[in-house]
Amino acid sequence: MRTIALFTCVIVAGFSVGAYAATEVIHQQGRAFSSETISVKKGEAVTFLNDDTVPHNIMSASKGNEFNLGSQAPGTSTDVTFKEAGDVQVICAIHPRMKMMVKVTD
Amino acid sequence: MPELGSYRSRILAGTIASAALGVLGFSTIGFGAAVVGESRKAEITQKAPSSLDALKAQYRRPASIPFPKDNPYTPDKAALGKKLYFDTRLSVSSAQSCASCHSPGFGWGDGLAVGVGHGMAKLGRHSPTIVNAAWSAIFMWDGRLPTLEDQALGPIQSPGEMNMKLDDLMARLASIPEYKPMFDASFPGQGMTAKALAQAIATYERTVVSERAPFDAWIEGNEKAIPEAAKRGFAVFNGKAQCAACHEGWNFTNEGFQDIGLPSTDIGRGEYLPGVIKMQHAFKTPGLREINRRSPFMHDGSLATLEAVIDHYDHGGVDRPSRSDLMRPLGLTAQEKADLVAFLKTLTSELEPTAVPVLPR
Repeated sequence: MRTIALFTCVIVAGFSVGAYAATEVIHQQGRAFSSETISVKKGEAVTFLNDDTVPHNIMSASKGNEFNLGSQAPGTSTDVTFKEAGDVQVICAIHPRMKMMVKVTD
Repeated sequence: MPELGSYRSRILAGTIASAALGVLGFSTIGFGAAVVGESRKAEITQKAPSSLDALKAQYRRPASIPFPKDNPYTPDKAALGKKLYFDTRLSVSSAQSCASCHSPGFGWGDGLAVGVGHGMAKLGRHSPTIVNAAWSAIFMWDGRLPTLEDQALGPIQSPGEMNMKLDDLMARLASIPEYKPMFDASFPGQGMTAKALAQAIATYERTVVSERAPFDAWIEGNEKAIPEAAKRGFAVFNGKAQCAACHEGWNFTNEGFQDIGLPSTDIGRGEYLPGVIKMQHAFKTPGLREINRRSPFMHDGSLATLEAVIDHYDHGGVDRPSRSDLMRPLGLTAQEKADLVAFLKTLTSELEPTAVPVLPR
Protein backbone atom coordinates (compact mmCIF):
# COMPACT_ATOMS: atom_id res chain seq x y z
CA MET A 1 0.00 0.00 0.00
CA ARG A 2 2.85 2.34 0.97
CA THR A 3 4.66 1.46 -2.27
CA ILE A 4 1.57 2.28 -4.30
CA ALA A 5 1.18 5.61 -2.52
CA LEU A 6 4.82 6.50 -3.14
CA PHE A 7 4.57 5.45 -6.79
CA THR A 8 1.46 7.63 -7.13
CA CYS A 9 3.37 10.58 -5.64
CA VAL A 10 6.15 10.02 -8.15
CA ILE A 11 3.73 10.01 -11.07
CA VAL A 12 1.95 13.12 -9.78
CA ALA A 13 5.27 14.87 -9.38
CA GLY A 14 6.18 13.97 -12.93
CA PHE A 15 9.33 12.03 -12.13
CA SER A 16 10.52 8.58 -13.01
CA VAL A 17 11.32 6.28 -10.11
CA GLY A 18 14.94 6.37 -11.21
CA ALA A 19 15.10 10.09 -10.46
CA TYR A 20 15.11 9.25 -6.75
CA ALA A 21 18.59 7.77 -6.86
CA ALA A 22 20.62 10.22 -4.78
CA THR A 23 23.71 11.56 -6.46
CA GLU A 24 24.99 13.83 -3.66
CA VAL A 25 25.10 13.26 0.08
CA ILE A 26 25.25 16.29 2.36
CA HIS A 27 26.51 15.55 5.88
CA GLN A 28 25.73 17.73 8.89
CA GLN A 29 28.35 16.86 11.50
CA GLY A 30 29.43 19.62 13.88
CA ARG A 31 26.51 21.94 12.98
CA ALA A 32 27.91 22.40 9.46
CA PHE A 33 27.07 21.23 5.96
CA SER A 34 29.78 19.13 4.38
CA SER A 35 29.72 21.32 1.24
CA GLU A 36 29.19 25.03 0.74
CA THR A 37 28.04 24.58 -2.85
CA ILE A 38 27.03 21.61 -4.98
CA SER A 39 25.64 21.27 -8.48
CA VAL A 40 22.91 18.80 -9.46
CA LYS A 41 20.78 18.32 -12.54
CA LYS A 42 17.07 19.07 -12.43
CA GLY A 43 15.26 15.93 -11.24
CA GLU A 44 18.28 14.57 -9.38
CA ALA A 45 18.06 13.94 -5.64
CA VAL A 46 20.29 15.27 -2.88
CA THR A 47 20.51 13.21 0.31
CA PHE A 48 20.55 15.22 3.53
CA LEU A 49 22.08 12.94 6.15
CA ASN A 50 21.98 14.04 9.77
CA ASP A 51 25.14 12.44 11.10
CA ASP A 52 25.40 15.08 13.83
CA THR A 53 24.59 14.67 17.54
CA VAL A 54 21.57 17.02 17.51
CA PRO A 55 18.42 17.44 15.40
CA HIS A 56 18.49 19.74 12.38
CA ASN A 57 15.69 21.37 10.39
CA ILE A 58 16.88 21.61 6.80
CA MET A 59 14.80 23.78 4.48
CA SER A 60 14.79 26.19 1.58
CA ALA A 61 12.59 29.10 0.64
CA SER A 62 14.10 29.46 -2.86
CA LYS A 63 11.28 29.93 -5.36
CA GLY A 64 10.28 26.78 -7.18
CA ASN A 65 12.38 24.52 -4.96
CA GLU A 66 10.90 25.18 -1.53
CA PHE A 67 11.06 22.34 0.97
CA ASN A 68 11.11 21.79 4.72
CA LEU A 69 12.35 18.54 6.23
CA GLY A 70 11.09 19.45 9.68
CA SER A 71 13.03 18.18 12.67
CA GLN A 72 15.47 15.58 11.35
CA ALA A 73 16.81 13.37 14.13
CA PRO A 74 20.43 12.24 14.26
CA GLY A 75 20.81 9.00 12.35
CA THR A 76 18.24 9.78 9.66
CA SER A 77 18.57 10.76 6.02
CA THR A 78 16.10 12.25 3.56
CA ASP A 79 16.27 12.71 -0.21
CA VAL A 80 15.19 15.98 -1.81
CA THR A 81 14.65 16.22 -5.56
CA PHE A 82 14.79 19.69 -7.09
CA LYS A 83 12.33 20.50 -9.85
CA GLU A 84 13.42 23.93 -11.06
CA ALA A 85 16.76 25.11 -12.43
CA GLY A 86 18.45 27.85 -10.42
CA ASP A 87 20.27 28.54 -7.18
CA VAL A 88 18.69 27.01 -4.10
CA GLN A 89 19.73 28.49 -0.74
CA VAL A 90 19.53 25.69 1.83
CA ILE A 91 19.62 26.49 5.53
CA CYS A 92 19.04 24.86 8.89
CA ALA A 93 16.22 26.75 10.59
CA ILE A 94 17.62 25.81 13.98
CA HIS A 95 21.29 26.65 13.37
CA PRO A 96 21.69 29.89 11.40
CA ARG A 97 25.38 29.33 10.69
CA MET A 98 24.42 26.34 8.51
CA LYS A 99 24.03 27.61 4.96
CA MET A 100 24.78 26.08 1.59
CA MET A 101 23.85 26.52 -2.06
CA VAL A 102 22.51 23.86 -4.41
CA LYS A 103 22.94 24.91 -8.03
CA VAL A 104 20.27 23.12 -10.05
CA THR A 105 20.99 22.92 -13.78
CA ASP A 106 18.83 21.89 -16.75
CA MET B 1 30.05 30.12 -14.12
CA PRO B 2 29.20 33.52 -12.63
CA GLU B 3 31.91 35.92 -11.56
CA LEU B 4 33.07 35.33 -8.01
CA GLY B 5 32.03 38.78 -6.87
CA SER B 6 28.50 38.50 -8.15
CA TYR B 7 28.28 34.93 -6.87
CA ARG B 8 29.30 36.03 -3.39
CA SER B 9 26.80 38.84 -3.56
CA ARG B 10 24.08 36.36 -4.41
CA ILE B 11 25.10 34.07 -1.57
CA LEU B 12 25.13 37.05 0.77
CA ALA B 13 21.77 38.20 -0.50
CA GLY B 14 20.39 34.72 -0.01
CA THR B 15 21.86 34.56 3.46
CA ILE B 16 20.36 37.88 4.42
CA ALA B 17 17.08 36.81 2.89
CA SER B 18 17.20 33.63 4.92
CA ALA B 19 17.87 35.65 8.05
CA ALA B 20 15.00 37.93 7.23
CA LEU B 21 12.50 35.35 6.00
CA GLY B 22 9.05 36.61 6.66
CA VAL B 23 10.11 40.22 6.42
CA LEU B 24 10.61 39.52 2.72
CA GLY B 25 7.32 37.75 2.30
CA PHE B 26 8.40 34.24 3.17
CA SER B 27 5.15 33.80 5.00
CA THR B 28 3.38 33.60 1.65
CA ILE B 29 5.53 30.73 0.39
CA GLY B 30 4.24 27.21 0.83
CA PHE B 31 6.70 24.36 1.26
CA GLY B 32 6.76 21.38 -1.03
CA ALA B 33 7.84 22.58 -4.46
CA ALA B 34 10.83 20.26 -4.27
CA VAL B 35 10.04 16.57 -3.83
CA VAL B 36 10.89 15.23 -0.39
CA GLY B 37 11.35 11.51 0.00
CA GLU B 38 10.66 9.43 3.10
CA SER B 39 13.15 9.66 5.94
CA ARG B 40 15.30 6.60 6.47
CA LYS B 41 17.42 5.41 9.33
CA ALA B 42 21.14 5.71 8.63
CA GLU B 43 24.20 4.26 10.31
CA ILE B 44 26.35 7.09 11.60
CA THR B 45 29.48 7.41 13.65
CA GLN B 46 29.20 9.95 16.44
CA LYS B 47 32.45 11.68 17.20
CA ALA B 48 32.58 12.18 20.96
CA PRO B 49 35.64 13.89 22.48
CA SER B 50 38.20 11.21 23.25
CA SER B 51 39.13 12.57 26.68
CA LEU B 52 38.39 15.29 29.22
CA ASP B 53 41.29 17.31 27.80
CA ALA B 54 39.77 17.05 24.31
CA LEU B 55 36.44 18.22 25.70
CA LYS B 56 38.07 21.13 27.50
CA ALA B 57 39.81 22.14 24.27
CA GLN B 58 36.41 22.82 22.71
CA TYR B 59 35.94 25.67 25.19
CA ARG B 60 39.22 27.54 24.77
CA ARG B 61 38.98 31.30 24.40
CA PRO B 62 39.73 32.75 20.96
CA ALA B 63 42.91 34.77 20.50
CA SER B 64 41.32 37.81 18.90
CA ILE B 65 38.03 39.61 18.30
CA PRO B 66 36.52 39.15 14.82
CA PHE B 67 35.65 42.38 13.01
CA PRO B 68 33.88 42.28 9.62
CA LYS B 69 35.81 43.24 6.51
CA ASP B 70 33.29 45.94 5.65
CA ASN B 71 33.64 47.52 9.10
CA PRO B 72 37.19 46.98 10.36
CA TYR B 73 38.35 48.05 13.80
CA THR B 74 40.03 51.39 14.35
CA PRO B 75 40.65 52.97 17.78
CA ASP B 76 38.98 56.23 16.69
CA LYS B 77 35.87 54.38 15.53
CA ALA B 78 35.60 52.39 18.75
CA ALA B 79 36.06 55.56 20.84
CA LEU B 80 33.34 57.35 18.87
CA GLY B 81 31.12 54.30 19.18
CA LYS B 82 31.55 54.28 22.95
CA LYS B 83 30.46 57.91 23.22
CA LEU B 84 27.42 57.23 21.03
CA TYR B 85 26.60 54.08 23.02
CA PHE B 86 26.42 56.05 26.28
CA ASP B 87 24.78 59.18 24.81
CA THR B 88 21.13 59.57 25.86
CA ARG B 89 20.62 62.08 23.04
CA LEU B 90 20.26 59.12 20.67
CA SER B 91 16.68 58.75 22.00
CA VAL B 92 13.85 61.14 21.18
CA SER B 93 13.42 61.90 24.89
CA SER B 94 17.18 62.39 25.42
CA ALA B 95 16.67 60.14 28.43
CA GLN B 96 17.77 56.73 27.10
CA SER B 97 21.01 55.45 25.66
CA CYS B 98 22.05 52.01 24.46
CA ALA B 99 23.55 51.60 27.95
CA SER B 100 20.16 52.10 29.58
CA CYS B 101 19.17 48.56 28.58
CA HIS B 102 22.67 47.13 28.06
CA SER B 103 24.56 48.42 31.07
CA PRO B 104 28.03 47.34 32.16
CA GLY B 105 26.67 47.41 35.71
CA PHE B 106 24.33 44.48 34.95
CA GLY B 107 26.56 42.25 32.83
CA TRP B 108 25.64 44.46 29.85
CA GLY B 109 21.92 43.86 30.36
CA ASP B 110 19.53 45.80 32.59
CA GLY B 111 18.78 43.47 35.48
CA LEU B 112 15.04 43.60 34.73
CA ALA B 113 12.68 40.84 33.68
CA VAL B 114 11.75 42.77 30.54
CA GLY B 115 13.21 45.97 29.15
CA VAL B 116 11.78 49.43 29.68
CA GLY B 117 11.38 51.62 26.61
CA HIS B 118 10.07 54.99 25.53
CA GLY B 119 7.85 56.64 28.14
CA MET B 120 8.89 54.00 30.70
CA ALA B 121 6.66 51.44 28.97
CA LYS B 122 7.58 47.81 29.56
CA LEU B 123 8.81 45.91 26.52
CA GLY B 124 7.88 42.34 25.66
CA ARG B 125 11.23 40.63 26.18
CA HIS B 126 14.27 40.55 28.42
CA SER B 127 17.13 42.82 27.35
CA PRO B 128 19.88 40.48 26.14
CA THR B 129 23.49 41.08 27.07
CA ILE B 130 25.84 42.48 24.42
CA VAL B 131 28.81 40.60 25.88
CA ASN B 132 30.66 38.74 23.10
CA ALA B 133 28.29 40.04 20.42
CA ALA B 134 31.31 40.12 18.08
CA TRP B 135 30.95 36.34 17.71
CA SER B 136 27.21 36.34 16.97
CA ALA B 137 25.85 35.16 13.65
CA ILE B 138 22.37 36.65 13.99
CA PHE B 139 20.77 39.18 16.32
CA MET B 140 17.74 39.75 18.55
CA TRP B 141 15.91 37.02 20.47
CA ASP B 142 13.99 36.18 17.29
CA GLY B 143 16.92 36.55 14.89
CA ARG B 144 15.26 39.24 12.83
CA LEU B 145 18.45 41.26 12.25
CA PRO B 146 21.46 39.85 10.39
CA THR B 147 24.27 42.11 11.61
CA LEU B 148 25.34 44.04 14.69
CA GLU B 149 25.24 47.22 12.59
CA ASP B 150 21.55 46.57 11.86
CA GLN B 151 20.97 45.82 15.52
CA ALA B 152 22.52 49.15 16.53
CA LEU B 153 19.92 51.06 14.52
CA GLY B 154 16.97 48.87 15.48
CA PRO B 155 16.28 50.03 19.05
CA ILE B 156 17.08 53.66 18.16
CA GLN B 157 14.25 53.74 15.61
CA SER B 158 11.80 51.43 17.39
CA PRO B 159 8.80 53.49 18.60
CA GLY B 160 8.63 51.39 21.75
CA GLU B 161 12.31 51.82 22.62
CA MET B 162 14.26 55.00 21.78
CA ASN B 163 11.67 56.22 19.26
CA MET B 164 14.13 58.34 17.27
CA LYS B 165 13.90 58.90 13.51
CA LEU B 166 17.34 58.58 11.95
CA ASP B 167 17.09 61.87 10.02
CA ASP B 168 16.19 63.70 13.22
CA LEU B 169 19.00 61.95 15.07
CA MET B 170 21.66 62.85 12.52
CA ALA B 171 20.44 66.47 12.56
CA ARG B 172 20.65 66.47 16.34
CA LEU B 173 24.17 65.05 16.33
CA ALA B 174 25.23 67.57 13.66
CA SER B 175 24.18 70.34 16.03
CA ILE B 176 26.69 69.09 18.62
CA PRO B 177 30.01 70.64 17.44
CA GLU B 178 32.34 68.13 19.05
CA TYR B 179 30.84 65.13 17.21
CA LYS B 180 31.78 66.23 13.66
CA PRO B 181 35.58 65.94 14.00
CA MET B 182 35.15 62.49 15.57
CA PHE B 183 33.06 61.26 12.63
CA ASP B 184 35.57 62.84 10.21
CA ALA B 185 38.46 61.02 11.90
CA SER B 186 36.65 57.67 11.92
CA PHE B 187 34.95 57.91 8.52
CA PRO B 188 37.06 60.22 6.34
CA GLY B 189 35.10 61.79 3.51
CA GLN B 190 31.82 60.09 4.49
CA GLY B 191 30.28 62.77 6.68
CA MET B 192 27.89 62.11 9.55
CA THR B 193 25.61 59.37 8.33
CA ALA B 194 23.36 56.80 9.97
CA LYS B 195 25.53 54.08 8.43
CA ALA B 196 28.62 55.52 10.07
CA LEU B 197 26.77 55.84 13.38
CA ALA B 198 25.78 52.16 13.21
CA GLN B 199 29.31 51.08 12.28
CA ALA B 200 30.82 53.06 15.16
CA ILE B 201 28.41 51.67 17.76
CA ALA B 202 28.85 48.11 16.46
CA THR B 203 32.63 48.49 16.55
CA TYR B 204 32.51 49.56 20.19
CA GLU B 205 30.11 46.74 21.06
CA ARG B 206 32.50 44.20 19.52
CA THR B 207 35.12 45.29 22.03
CA VAL B 208 32.82 44.26 24.91
CA VAL B 209 34.26 40.82 25.61
CA SER B 210 33.96 38.71 28.73
CA GLU B 211 37.23 38.60 30.58
CA ARG B 212 39.07 35.53 31.77
CA ALA B 213 36.96 33.60 34.27
CA PRO B 214 37.99 30.84 36.68
CA PHE B 215 36.73 28.32 34.10
CA ASP B 216 39.31 29.58 31.59
CA ALA B 217 42.12 29.05 34.07
CA TRP B 218 40.87 25.51 34.73
CA ILE B 219 40.72 24.45 31.07
CA GLU B 220 44.23 25.84 30.67
CA GLY B 221 45.49 23.50 33.34
CA ASN B 222 45.04 25.13 36.77
CA GLU B 223 43.20 22.42 38.69
CA LYS B 224 42.73 24.71 41.70
CA ALA B 225 40.95 27.39 39.69
CA ILE B 226 37.45 25.97 40.24
CA PRO B 227 35.92 23.82 42.98
CA GLU B 228 35.38 20.08 42.61
CA ALA B 229 31.61 20.62 42.46
CA ALA B 230 32.09 22.79 39.35
CA LYS B 231 34.22 20.09 37.69
CA ARG B 232 31.42 17.59 38.31
CA GLY B 233 28.98 20.17 36.98
CA PHE B 234 31.01 20.47 33.78
CA ALA B 235 30.60 16.73 33.27
CA VAL B 236 26.84 16.95 33.84
CA PHE B 237 26.65 19.98 31.52
CA ASN B 238 28.28 18.01 28.71
CA GLY B 239 26.68 14.68 29.58
CA LYS B 240 23.42 13.84 31.31
CA ALA B 241 21.92 17.35 31.14
CA GLN B 242 22.86 17.83 27.43
CA CYS B 243 23.31 21.60 27.96
CA ALA B 244 26.21 21.58 25.50
CA ALA B 245 23.92 20.51 22.67
CA CYS B 246 23.05 24.21 22.38
CA HIS B 247 25.38 26.00 24.82
CA GLU B 248 28.56 24.92 23.07
CA GLY B 249 31.97 26.44 22.47
CA TRP B 250 33.90 29.13 24.36
CA ASN B 251 30.89 31.51 24.44
CA PHE B 252 28.50 28.67 25.30
CA THR B 253 26.11 29.14 22.39
CA ASN B 254 25.79 27.82 18.86
CA GLU B 255 23.46 30.75 18.09
CA GLY B 256 20.62 28.32 17.41
CA PHE B 257 16.87 28.73 17.89
CA GLN B 258 14.97 26.37 20.16
CA ASP B 259 11.57 26.20 21.83
CA ILE B 260 12.62 25.18 25.32
CA GLY B 261 9.05 24.85 26.54
CA LEU B 262 8.56 28.06 28.46
CA PRO B 263 4.82 28.75 29.01
CA SER B 264 4.81 31.93 26.92
CA THR B 265 2.48 32.99 24.09
CA ASP B 266 5.36 34.79 22.33
CA ILE B 267 6.12 32.82 19.14
CA GLY B 268 9.60 34.32 18.71
CA ARG B 269 11.37 33.05 15.59
CA GLY B 270 8.06 31.64 14.42
CA GLU B 271 7.00 35.09 13.28
CA TYR B 272 9.69 34.94 10.58
CA LEU B 273 9.44 31.24 9.75
CA PRO B 274 5.70 30.64 10.06
CA GLY B 275 5.75 27.36 8.13
CA VAL B 276 8.36 25.75 10.35
CA ILE B 277 6.81 24.04 13.37
CA LYS B 278 10.04 23.90 15.39
CA MET B 279 10.46 27.68 15.13
CA GLN B 280 7.20 28.45 16.92
CA HIS B 281 8.10 29.73 20.43
CA ALA B 282 11.79 29.39 19.48
CA PHE B 283 14.33 31.93 20.68
CA LYS B 284 18.03 32.39 20.16
CA THR B 285 20.27 30.43 22.52
CA PRO B 286 22.13 32.99 24.64
CA GLY B 287 25.75 32.61 25.63
CA LEU B 288 26.49 31.86 29.28
CA ARG B 289 29.51 34.07 29.96
CA GLU B 290 28.99 36.47 32.91
CA ILE B 291 25.77 34.56 33.59
CA ASN B 292 25.91 35.29 37.32
CA ARG B 293 25.46 39.01 36.62
CA ARG B 294 22.59 38.61 34.18
CA SER B 295 19.52 37.51 36.16
CA PRO B 296 16.62 37.23 35.65
CA PHE B 297 16.91 34.70 32.84
CA MET B 298 15.21 33.58 29.61
CA HIS B 299 13.71 35.64 26.78
CA ASP B 300 10.86 36.72 29.03
CA GLY B 301 12.86 37.16 32.23
CA SER B 302 10.56 34.63 33.85
CA LEU B 303 13.18 32.70 35.84
CA ALA B 304 14.89 34.59 38.63
CA THR B 305 17.74 32.26 39.55
CA LEU B 306 20.10 29.72 38.01
CA GLU B 307 18.47 27.11 40.23
CA ALA B 308 15.09 27.91 38.66
CA VAL B 309 16.60 27.65 35.18
CA ILE B 310 18.02 24.21 35.92
CA ASP B 311 14.72 23.08 37.44
CA HIS B 312 13.00 24.16 34.22
CA TYR B 313 15.32 22.08 32.06
CA ASP B 314 15.06 19.16 34.46
CA HIS B 315 11.28 19.27 34.14
CA GLY B 316 11.43 19.56 30.35
CA GLY B 317 9.02 22.45 29.88
CA VAL B 318 5.68 22.58 28.08
CA ASP B 319 5.28 19.58 25.77
CA ARG B 320 4.03 20.92 22.42
CA PRO B 321 4.83 20.20 18.75
CA SER B 322 7.29 23.08 18.54
CA ARG B 323 9.28 22.06 21.61
CA SER B 324 12.85 21.12 20.80
CA ASP B 325 13.41 17.38 20.47
CA LEU B 326 16.28 17.89 22.91
CA MET B 327 13.89 18.90 25.69
CA ARG B 328 12.68 16.12 27.95
CA PRO B 329 12.64 15.38 31.68
CA LEU B 330 16.25 14.85 32.72
CA GLY B 331 15.93 13.22 36.13
CA LEU B 332 18.76 15.24 37.64
CA THR B 333 19.60 14.61 41.29
CA ALA B 334 19.86 17.44 43.82
CA GLN B 335 23.63 16.95 43.76
CA GLU B 336 23.80 17.22 39.97
CA LYS B 337 21.71 20.41 40.03
CA ALA B 338 23.96 21.95 42.66
CA ASP B 339 27.04 20.93 40.69
CA LEU B 340 25.62 22.53 37.54
CA VAL B 341 25.09 25.82 39.39
CA ALA B 342 28.63 25.63 40.77
CA PHE B 343 29.95 25.13 37.24
CA LEU B 344 27.91 27.99 35.74
CA LYS B 345 29.26 30.36 38.40
CA THR B 346 32.80 29.71 37.14
CA LEU B 347 31.90 31.41 33.83
CA THR B 348 31.72 34.85 35.45
CA SER B 349 34.87 36.97 35.40
CA GLU B 350 36.05 39.84 37.56
CA LEU B 351 34.88 42.44 35.07
CA GLU B 352 36.93 45.61 34.99
CA PRO B 353 34.82 48.70 35.69
CA THR B 354 33.73 50.49 32.52
CA ALA B 355 34.33 54.23 32.59
CA VAL B 356 31.44 56.29 31.30
CA PRO B 357 32.86 58.58 28.60
CA VAL B 358 32.78 62.37 28.65
CA LEU B 359 30.20 63.19 26.00
CA PRO B 360 30.57 65.77 23.22
CA ARG B 361 28.90 69.16 23.70
